[in-house]
Amino acid sequence: MVKRYKWIILLLVLALGLLLGMFTVHSSAASEPGRTEVVFWHSMGGVAGQTLMQIVDDFNHSQNKIYVKPVYQGSYEESLAKFRTIGGTKDVPAIVQTYEVGTKFMIDSGYITPVQSFIDEDHYNTKALEENILKFYTVKGKLYSMPFNSSTPVLMYNATAFKKAGLDPNKPPKTFSEVEAYAEKLVQNNKGMDGFSFLNYPWYFEEMVTTQGAYNYNNANGRTGPITKSLVNSSQGIKVLQWLQNMKKKHLLTYFGTNGGNEQAAFLTGKLGMFLSSSAGAAQLIQNAPFKVGIGFLPHVDGVKPQGVAIGGASLWLPKGPSAKTQQAAFTFMKYLESPAVQAKWHVGSGYFPINKLAYKEPLLEKTYKKIPQLKVSADQLHRTIPSYYTRGFITTITPQARMVLQQSIDGVMNGQSPKASLDNAAQSITDIIERTNRANQK
Amino acid sequence: MAMERAQVERTGGLPATVAREKLFRRILGRQPAAWLYLMPSLILFAVFVFYPLFKTIYLSFFLSDMKGLPTVFIGLDNYVRLFSSPEFIQSAGSTLLFVLYTVPATIIIALILALLANEKLKGIGFFRTIFSSSMGISVAASSVVWLFIFNPSAGILNRILSLFGLRGINWLADPNWALFSVSLTTIWLHLGFTFLILLGGLQNIDEHLYESANIEGAGYFYQLRRITLPMLSPTLFFVITVSMIDAFQTFGQIDLLTKGGPGNSTNLIVYSIYQKAFINFDFGSASSAVVVLFFCILLVTALQFKFGERKVHYQ
Amino acid sequence: MRIVKQTSLYVVLTALSLVLFFPMLYAFSASFMSAQEVLLGHFLPSTLHFENYLQAFQDVPLFRFLINSIFISLVVTFGVLAVSSMAAYAFVFLDFKGRKLLFVLFISTMMIPWEASMIPNFVTVQQLGWINRYAGLTIPFFASAFGTFLLRQYFKTIPKEMQEAAQIAGIGHFRFFMNVVLPVSKTSLVTLGIYTFLTTWNAYLWPLLTTTDELVRPLQIGLRQLQSQETVNEWGVVMAAVMVVAVPTLIVLFIGQKHLQKGLTDGALK
Repeated sequence: MVKRYKWIILLLVLALGLLLGMFTVHSSAASEPGRTEVVFWHSMGGVAGQTLMQIVDDFNHSQNKIYVKPVYQGSYEESLAKFRTIGGTKDVPAIVQTYEVGTKFMIDSGYITPVQSFIDEDHYNTKALEENILKFYTVKGKLYSMPFNSSTPVLMYNATAFKKAGLDPNKPPKTFSEVEAYAEKLVQNNKGMDGFSFLNYPWYFEEMVTTQGAYNYNNANGRTGPITKSLVNSSQGIKVLQWLQNMKKKHLLTYFGTNGGNEQAAFLTGKLGMFLSSSAGAAQLIQNAPFKVGIGFLPHVDGVKPQGVAIGGASLWLPKGPSAKTQQAAFTFMKYLESPAVQAKWHVGSGYFPINKLAYKEPLLEKTYKKIPQLKVSADQLHRTIPSYYTRGFITTITPQARMVLQQSIDGVMNGQSPKASLDNAAQSITDIIERTNRANQK
Repeated sequence: MAMERAQVERTGGLPATVAREKLFRRILGRQPAAWLYLMPSLILFAVFVFYPLFKTIYLSFFLSDMKGLPTVFIGLDNYVRLFSSPEFIQSAGSTLLFVLYTVPATIIIALILALLANEKLKGIGFFRTIFSSSMGISVAASSVVWLFIFNPSAGILNRILSLFGLRGINWLADPNWALFSVSLTTIWLHLGFTFLILLGGLQNIDEHLYESANIEGAGYFYQLRRITLPMLSPTLFFVITVSMIDAFQTFGQIDLLTKGGPGNSTNLIVYSIYQKAFINFDFGSASSAVVVLFFCILLVTALQFKFGERKVHYQ
Repeated sequence: MRIVKQTSLYVVLTALSLVLFFPMLYAFSASFMSAQEVLLGHFLPSTLHFENYLQAFQDVPLFRFLINSIFISLVVTFGVLAVSSMAAYAFVFLDFKGRKLLFVLFISTMMIPWEASMIPNFVTVQQLGWINRYAGLTIPFFASAFGTFLLRQYFKTIPKEMQEAAQIAGIGHFRFFMNVVLPVSKTSLVTLGIYTFLTTWNAYLWPLLTTTDELVRPLQIGLRQLQSQETVNEWGVVMAAVMVVAVPTLIVLFIGQKHLQKGLTDGALK
């Protein structure tokens, strides 16, 4: 009996200890007294995440006033869902990384302080930063968030297979019909290889509409007034899907659905000649491929002057809530991230391109470009982009829903539906979603 | 009964107290202590299960703004939209198919494994452990492994197909195969648990039944049909009920393997709810889908108890 | 004849074991491969790349996550055992108004998908100030309809005479519960414990949402963190993490398998 009581007492003590531990605040053990802690929510997994860690470590070692604590918050969607619920409370971080899709929500939410106010106060010069990217995050003359990781859609190709097919490995196809001709040659001359593939990520569709000088939404993609209508069923949109469908019919295009990992694996194992990809994956693809990888611009419709692309990726926001001192510290860290040397390192380590133009003069980048000149293509594509409302990117909260609709529409087309009918339907569904959202949010 | 009478006699003192106690009992039942024992569960269920459920029902009648707050009352509009949206109908269809693919297959395979593992052999414990192993592997971990197995160029499945000179299948990206592939993963995941329960059920069957059957010279399959299955029916019933509920609520595999694609073909209801709520932040329509799902599961379970339990043979 | 039957049984059992355990063996093998080898679809690594494991531990604080996972799973296990056994006791040994109705209510909670009530729950936890607290990761899971159901079924097999005898001897409910009911139901409790431990260990979406700080996060999140969204996966490292995540639960299962199987059936089906 005594033995049993001992057990019970032991368990009770243990339980008490556990309970006490459960409600206490767990502040970071790594943070040091006297330093301002900056909690930094990010969504960078894999290699980009590792590079980010290194950069943060460098920053923490470079000075002793600020301590940045990066915390992974899952995918962009999960992170944003969390921020939506936590915004305006004491649990907010000092910096949150949000993808471009969330921009409109962040601005409207009232949960954040525009970085413009810190830029003005600090007389921080943004001249060196890429104009095209700054414009995306600027609304009514105010820069709301600090651009950080940006990418554009590019065409990746197997340069070794190009050579084998008698194609110039330094001249990637530029137009739809060129892609088709190249794909045909690739298939003929490389056993077991598919010419081209398409990943059902509507971002590519949106960008191929953009580069033709067309809008995805009315009111100049929401830049001149609130969006009320979807324009995906424009003649430009139909052309894109028509081309993809024809390619598939001719067995020049493999369709990977939404599975990007499969597409990359096919490319790396030499079963795929060309595919559309985010420039962010470039460095790693080149590293892992047992052949020479080439990179080209996003292909465009024949006979159209390409306008260029809108940027994708994410930016850094300053939530309201932390003390002025913490916000100031967060801004100091942001400036560090934007500096040429850090941007060069980030570009090489992650594949996102440098947003500071001075980064191209950094020895690290010059050296890397000498070794892997292809990496430069995505930045070139951005620099060739003609600044206009077309290429500034759209600003709306409904992008996730609209992309889901588009995804189904593209899927239907890939499985034989008529592009026009399918896009007409999609445009109607998206407009419907816009109306609902506007109704719910007007007050 | 004897005890209760004794208690009543003991408390039969002053009339006023009796009246008060009667009142207490009418409200709390004969043994108010019960509520003390139930308190923790009730509080937790109230806060984390019923409150969200009622809130969900409430939200399903509203449009919600981007912060998730209800703004415009729209009556049943969310439900009307839900039932007229082809995506939801497709999701519901996929969910039913998924239940059909996974539940019977899991139970039949697990039953075969359990019958084999119930033989008395040396080292059978080792096999039992292996058969139940998938129970110990998380959805996240096993989905990652299967994601790799399904990889069309590097994965093992297509490697095997190519050994036989067959063209590789795009397991997770082909709308004709994706649901099958996810089901395969799910069957594997659930086998461990189902196997363990069925094995336990088999071991609970009285040995004597088989001995007398053996004396009468009944064959293996005769015994299986006449003794094993009837005696196992309570276990089977339990397993079927739990598996159905589990299948209706599948989430993790979908999130990690297909994200509902290609073309909505694996967008099972719980996942579509997650998408509506977390990615689109459209609480109104997400809520209406939750309510519909809840009533569907309730209906299926009720039907099961009504018709299924009749066939169950209790010892 | 006997020998033939036995050997063929062994052959069948071994073959099935291989098929069923294959995914894990494959993952184990891949966890030692270089990125190249994985992509080329090799079955076995040419040299053992132990650095995948080092890398996994370096990229993500897996060790801290491991400790958290063990702690969280243990707390939930004990919490569920305490809360469910009390509820089950009330349902079996205590008579009160609306017992049947309440039991149906309990069972019905099994049908509400957890993912669906996640957002209101997240708001609740946030308002309670439980974000980044172990409390938020554990307490919401203490009440378990499945656990109550399982234990109730077992408690029902305890003869009523025992309770009557206890009553006559003047033993109160609490002592009867602690000294008689719980010890008698040891197998069921162990079963429920193992079951709860495994399911808690494997949860991942809820921990991801309610924690924003690595100090309190469990292991499953580490696994997710290693997978990249826009770039190529380092499969070798990911598989190494899979092994780190899976091995502890497999050990628990291997040790507790017998109890688990006995308890699950004893309880659930009488």
